[in-house]
Amino acid sequence: MEPASDPQTAYRAYGPALVRKAERLLRSREDAIDVVHALFADLIPRWSKDVDLPYLYRAVTNRCLNVVRDRGTRARLLEREQQAAAPVGRVRLDEHIVGVGLIAALADRLDEGHLEVLVARFVDDMTQDEIAEQLGVSRKTVGRRLERIRDEVIALRAEAAG
Amino acid sequence: MNCIGEPISWLRLERFALGGGDVAIRDHVATCAACRHCLDEIERDVVALPPLVVPAKRRRWWKLALPIAGALAAAAVLLLVLRPRPHQEGFASVKGLGEVQLDVVRERGGVIREDVRTFAPGDRFKVIVTCPPARPVWLDVAVVEAGARSADYPLAPTRIVCGNRIVVPGAFTVTGDKPNRVCARFAIAGEPARLLPAATDACITLRPDQ
Repeated sequence: MEPASDPQTAYRAYGPALVRKAERLLRSREDAIDVVHALFADLIPRWSKDVDLPYLYRAVTNRCLNVVRDRGTRARLLEREQQAAAPVGRVRLDEHIVGVGLIAALADRLDEGHLEVLVARFVDDMTQDEIAEQLGVSRKTVGRRLERIRDEVIALRAEAAG
Repeated sequence: MNCIGEPISWLRLERFALGGGDVAIRDHVATCAACRHCLDEIERDVVALPPLVVPAKRRRWWKLALPIAGALAAAAVLLLVLRPRPHQEGFASVKGLGEVQLDVVRERGGVIREDVRTFAPGDRFKVIVTCPPARPVWLDVAVVEAGARSADYPLAPTRIVCGNRIVVPGAFTVTGDKPNRVCARFAIAGEPARLLPAATDACITLRPDQ
């Protein structure tokens, strides 16, 4: 798929896909549209011909993670998640669907690189090979990060139980 | 609803929905209800995006300033090169010869001075010229009293070989109580015409002593 030549074309072509992706994380179409619109508005002055859907996908991940990290909006997101219908779960983390609650909890424990892998694997349902290509790291690195994520989830559950 | 194997990522499904034409995805969704359901969701979904306003491109100030600065610099250089130079006392530019300079030496009561521009009865003046070396040229000296409509030619036209501070043969005196213009007219081809001094002649002014 060719990169879009200008922001308007990319917005029209990829905007809906990006909104759906953001909505899976934020559980709100309104917030998702805001994130995508703000992303394009910021990209306009520094638009590059290399901007394609995978690049924008990753940018939306980072923007959504910023929203989740924000403690002011986190409570609202968690409340919304409880009211929303359960997402279609395909890739699960130890038989659990990864939602805002878990991502928010892990956001305090993991760095950006690990959180990107977390979202790519358990929200975007990417394979390890896809993640490696998307993030520009080796498959081994992706595997290591997934191991770390599992360890943190186990630790979180142990803390919650104890 | 679970995927029958490795789920197709949302990104790949989105690209497929955009017309990616990936055969592996087509085959997978044909048999996997979970991924088929996800693809259907994408294809059914309608997203009402707000308009994206792309501001008209503004040229950055420095992009505009650079050509202007360049043009100004070029204009300044042209002005410097092409500007009409103010006529400097004693200097002139002669076509085919170049820059020439006229100076005089005054002899008063046996005292010779080069740095004076005044005269008194009895003073004798000699003309000294400087012109591009090794060029034989014709030279004529004219003296014009202020307000006069004609010039005196106290020296005979002479042929000199240019160089630094060439002393022109002969001497002359200046009389009267008005300033006098002393001019040297150069010519390459032959004796210069005896016309009133012009801007192309090298001239100095001798003033009467107060």
